[in-house]
Amino acid sequence: MGLIQRIIEQRKIPTIGITLQKEVTMTVKPPRALFLRYPFGHPLGEAFHVRQQRTILVDALTGLETIREPGTILTPGYVWRRHVFD
Amino acid sequence: MGKIQDLKNTILVQLFKHLPWLAERWARGHRFVEGQGIPWAPLGKPLRESCIAMVTTAGVHLTSQPPFDMEDPDGDATFRAFPAAADKSDLTITHKYYDHSAADRDINVVLPIDRLRELQEEGFIGRIAPTLYSFMGHIDGPHLQTLMEETAPEVAERLLREGAEAVVLTPA
Repeated sequence: MGLIQRIIEQRKIPTIGITLQKEVTMTVKPPRALFLRYPFGHPLGEAFHVRQQRTILVDALTGLETIREPGTILTPGYVWRRHVFD
Repeated sequence: MGKIQDLKNTILVQLFKHLPWLAERWARGHRFVEGQGIPWAPLGKPLRESCIAMVTTAGVHLTSQPPFDMEDPDGDATFRAFPAAADKSDLTITHKYYDHSAADRDINVVLPIDRLRELQEEGFIGRIAPTLYSFMGHIDGPHLQTLMEETAPEVAERLLREGAEAVVLTPA
């Protein structure tokens, strides 16, 4: 996914990617990423868990405004099925 | 692909889902294309005024579109484009290299279209780009070149033409 992200950014559209594999992301080097230690198939969390999905999407979108350093990987540290999303 | 191969794949998918350390170990042994330099384009205006697009590699497509190729072990470098206003009941997932049972019940798990619509209604983002793009994120071998030289640049070009001012990408 990071490859596609890099190609879009090269066309001068800012991008952020959610990633579940930090080491892969560190190798591919997309411009902005949000890392979650979540299982494959769950980049936005659990089914019908609206607050969780919303928080993760807002985190990613906000990263588009706040990240200044290319290659930054945000790590909010939400623990799978344990973090309480208000 | 043979039945034994399919069974092996099904077992691996579940192992990777439930044992993240195993997935990390697999990733360390797999050769990924190492990025040279980091491309950079700053956000031109605040999110509340920006047109946001989404791209996923979770194998999502309209039920009316051809599925991704599951027979080729190197994957499928093509993409599917569908309207951001598409009805969720018209979407499906073709991807056997991850467990998408949760996303089958709620597509927002891999492609948060409802959440993005809510954020647009609240004014958190300006608007949603007209088209969503979807790849199948299991691309290897000769298809990597197709992805990097043909299909991904085509999607980038389309996003630009459609006025996308920022893109959120979601994996499987």
